[in-house]
Amino acid sequence: MRGQGRPRGAPKRLSALFPATPAAPGTAARTPFVLLIVVLLGSGLITLLLLNSALNQGSFELSRLEKKTDELTDEQQALQQEVDGYSAPGALERRARRLGMVPGGAPAFLLPDGTVRGKPGVAGADGAPLSSSAEPSAAALLRATTAGGPAAPRVPATPPVVPPSVAPPVPAGSGTLGPQSTPAAGAAPGHPAPAPAASPVSAPARVPASTARSSGSAPAPAPTTPGR
Amino acid sequence: MTEPRDPRRVPRPARRGGQPQNRTGRPPAARRPAQRPGAPRPAARRPGPARPGSGPQALRLGSPRPRLRLVSLGLTLIMLVFVVRLFQVQAVDAGAFAARANENRYVPVKLAAERGDLTDRNGVALATSVDAYDITADPSLLAPAKTKIPDAPQRAAALLAPILHVDKAALTEKLDRPGSRYELLARQQAPQVWKRIKDLRKTLDARAAAAPKSAPRPDVLVGIFADKHSKRVYPNKDLASGVLGFVNSLGKGGGGLEARLDKQLAGKDGKLVYAQSGGRRVPTAATQEHPAVPGADMELTLDRDIQWAAQQAITEQVAKSGADRGYVVVQDTRTGEILALANAPAFDPNDIAGAAPEALGNAALSDAFEPGSTSKLMSMAAVLEEGVATPSTRVTVPNRLHRGDRLFADDVDHETWHLTLNGVLAKSSNIGTILAAGQLGRTQPEANRVLYSYLRKFGIGRPTGLDFPGETDGILAQPQAWNTSQQYTIPFGQGLSLNAVQAASVYSTIANGGERIAPTLVRGSTGPDGRFAPAPKPARTRVVSQKTARTLATMLESVVDDEEGTGAKAKIDGYRVGGKTGTSNRVDPKTGRYHGYTASFAGFAPADKPRITVYCAVQNPTKGSYFGGQVCGPIYQQVMAFALKTLQVPPTGAKPPRLPVTFRPGQ
Repeated sequence: MRGQGRPRGAPKRLSALFPATPAAPGTAARTPFVLLIVVLLGSGLITLLLLNSALNQGSFELSRLEKKTDELTDEQQALQQEVDGYSAPGALERRARRLGMVPGGAPAFLLPDGTVRGKPGVAGADGAPLSSSAEPSAAALLRATTAGGPAAPRVPATPPVVPPSVAPPVPAGSGTLGPQSTPAAGAAPGHPAPAPAASPVSAPARVPASTARSSGSAPAPAPTTPGR
Repeated sequence: MTEPRDPRRVPRPARRGGQPQNRTGRPPAARRPAQRPGAPRPAARRPGPARPGSGPQALRLGSPRPRLRLVSLGLTLIMLVFVVRLFQVQAVDAGAFAARANENRYVPVKLAAERGDLTDRNGVALATSVDAYDITADPSLLAPAKTKIPDAPQRAAALLAPILHVDKAALTEKLDRPGSRYELLARQQAPQVWKRIKDLRKTLDARAAAAPKSAPRPDVLVGIFADKHSKRVYPNKDLASGVLGFVNSLGKGGGGLEARLDKQLAGKDGKLVYAQSGGRRVPTAATQEHPAVPGADMELTLDRDIQWAAQQAITEQVAKSGADRGYVVVQDTRTGEILALANAPAFDPNDIAGAAPEALGNAALSDAFEPGSTSKLMSMAAVLEEGVATPSTRVTVPNRLHRGDRLFADDVDHETWHLTLNGVLAKSSNIGTILAAGQLGRTQPEANRVLYSYLRKFGIGRPTGLDFPGETDGILAQPQAWNTSQQYTIPFGQGLSLNAVQAASVYSTIANGGERIAPTLVRGSTGPDGRFAPAPKPARTRVVSQKTARTLATMLESVVDDEEGTGAKAKIDGYRVGGKTGTSNRVDPKTGRYHGYTASFAGFAPADKPRITVYCAVQNPTKGSYFGGQVCGPIYQQVMAFALKTLQVPPTGAKPPRLPVTFRPGQ
C-alpha cells in the first residue's frame, strides 16, 4: 500500500489497516485523510444533488412563469379587444349621441395676435351647420334624414313624467337650421330643463327639411349630355 | 440387416458367385461369414455400435475432437455472419441507417411566427393577431360503453352549448358519434372560452373523484380538446376593410394590403427539433431551436377617424341614393399620403365567409369609370399652361355645338352664354371646354396630342404607384386612336376612364403647386428590433407650373363660391374651398353600354394654402338627384370639414379673389 510490500495473511492485513498502537509515523495520519476523502465525496454528491434539484426547480419555475405569461397575454389581448371595441369611432359616436352630443361645426382658431379665424356656428339638434348658405345645411340635412337614431335615444334621457306632447311646438327651426333660429335647440344637450322641448323640435324640423329639399332645390331638367 | 448379426448362425462356407465382400477392407477376422445363400446382397457394412467381436470390452466412443471442430466451425460461421452484418450496419450503410433512425427519433415542431399588425398613422391597430383556440372533441371517449353514462354526449353538449354559443342539438349530434375520433366543435374561440371549459372540467373532475368507487362516473368533458393557433382580428370591423383586405384560412394575406404586404407581415416561422422516445421528449438529448422571427408592424398613412368619417358619409349617401357603390379618397396634398380610402358597401374582414362577394376588394382602386366634368380641370390646366388662354378669356358658349358627327350640348338648355374661361369651369360647360381645348393645337390631332401628354402627366392610364392588388390603370387611348367623337368628349371627361385614387391625385397635383406626388398607403414599418423604417419617398413629377396651379385653384374656388357655380353645397364657412362637380354617363359593366350616371365631386381646401384633397364618387344613383353637386357635394363638405378639424388646419383668413364668371359682350 505504501510501497513497503503487502502484508501477508489475514491477521496481518487487518492489523495493518487498524493499527492497535500508533505505529510508524508514516501511517499515523491515515484516518483524517480517509475522513477528508469521505467528506469530499459526500459533499460532492450532495452538491450535485442540490444542483440538480435547483435546476429542476428552475425548470418548474420556468414552466410556471411561461404559463402565467400565456395567461396574462390572453388577458391583455381580451382587454385590448374590449378597449378597441369602445374606442372604435363608430361606437364612440353612438355613445356620444346617446349622451345628447352632436357633431361640431367648423372650429374657430385664435391666433397669437388675437385675431379669430373661422366662422363657428351654433350647433342645432343635428349638429352645427357647416355653411350658412340659403339652402339648409347639407350636413345637417344628411344626418336628419338618414340618422333617426340621434333623436330617439335622447327621449329616455329626459324625465319620463314630462310627456313630449306637452312641450310647445316650436316652428323656429323648420326651414333653415341657421344660427339665429337654433339657440333653443342648441342649448338642449347641455341643460336638462329645455331638453324635453328639444326632442319634439327635432322631430317636426326634420319633415319640412326633407320636403324643402325635394321641392326647393329641385334639380334642373334632365340633361341630354352629361356635365356639371 | 439383422441376419448377419446373429452370432448363433452357423457359418456357411459356400459362397455364391464370389461376392466382393471385402469392400471395406476389413481384416478377415472381423468379417462375418454370415451370408445366407438366400439372402440378398448385403448392404455395405458399417461400423455398428455393437460388434459381436468386442462385446465384453469398453464401449468405444467416437473421438470428440471432430465434433468440437464441427461445432466451433459452425459457431465461427455464425459469428462471421454476425460480424459481416455488423460491419455492414456499422460501417458500410452506417449513414443510411443513422438517417433512418433520426427520422423517427427527432421530431421537428414548427414555431409559428407572429403576424405583424397594421396600424393607422397614429399607431392605432387596424389589424392585429391574437391567440385563439379551435375546440375539438374525441367523441369515442364519450361513448356510453366507456363512460357508463348513457347520455354522456347530451350532458356534455348541454354544458358546452352556452359557452361556445352553438346550438345544443348540433353539438349533441357531433358528440354522439361513438365511432368518430375527431370532431370540430367551434372555430377560433377566445382563450377565455377554452379557460372556462378547462375550469368546468376541473370541477367536474373533482366531483368525479369524490364519487364512490363502486360506481365510477368519469367526467363528461373528458374528450374535449383545443388546438391553439393565431387569429387575425380587425378591431374596427368594416373600417377601411377595402384597404386592409383579409387573411385566408391558411393565415396568408388574401386581399388588400394583407396580401400586398404579406411578406413583411408574415415574418419567418421558426423550428424546434427534439429527440423523442415513445412520443415523449428525451430531456437530456440535445435540441435544436431556431426561434421564429415575428413579422413587422406596418404603419399605414390612413387616419382612423378621417377614414371613419369618410366611410360613414359615403355609406349613408349610397344607401340614400340607392346607388351601386361609392368611394371617398382623402389625400394629404403635401405628402401624397392617402388619409382615407373608403368604399361603400364595405365588408367585415372578421367574417369573410359572410361578406357579400361584390363588396370584397377595394373598388376605389379596382373600378375604372369615366370621370366626367371633374376631368375638365386637366383640360384647363393644359390650356393655361400652354398659354393659349387666361381665366378671363372670353368664351361665347352657344346652345349647341356641332363637332365631328355629333351635336354637343350642356346639361342645362341655355341661351348663348357669355362666359369667361373661369365661368366655363364654374358652370361646367361642356361646349366651352371643347372650344377651349380646341385651342391647344393648330389642328385637332395636334390639340389631341397636347391634351394626351397632359393627361398622362397627371397619371391617367398608368399605375397609381400603390401597387395594390387588383388595381386598374384606367383606360386612355393613344391620341392617334381617338375616334371622331372621343377627341371632343375627352376634354370634358367622357371617353377615358380612371380609378378614384387617380382622380384624387389630379386635384392633389394642382393643390401641391403643380407637382404630382405619387399616392402612398404605407408610411413605414417597425421591424422585430423595434426600429421604425420609413417607406421610400414617393416619386415627384412636375406637371404644370406653380403659377398655373395657383390660377386653377382660384378658378376651382369659383365653382363652390360663386352663386352661379355648381358646387355650392360643398361650402364650408370660414374656409376657402376649391372643388369641381362631375356628373358623367356611366358604362354599365354588365352590358358595356351607357346606363345611369356617376356623380362625383373633387376638391381641396384651403384653396389658397391647400392641405387636403377629397374626392367622392357615387356610382349609379337611382333615388333623388344624380348630380355630382347634389349627391357628392354634401359628402365632400362633411368629410373635408371633419378632416380639417382632425388635422387642425386653420382657415387662412384671406379674402377670395372672386374671378369673374361672365362678361358682357361688347364691353
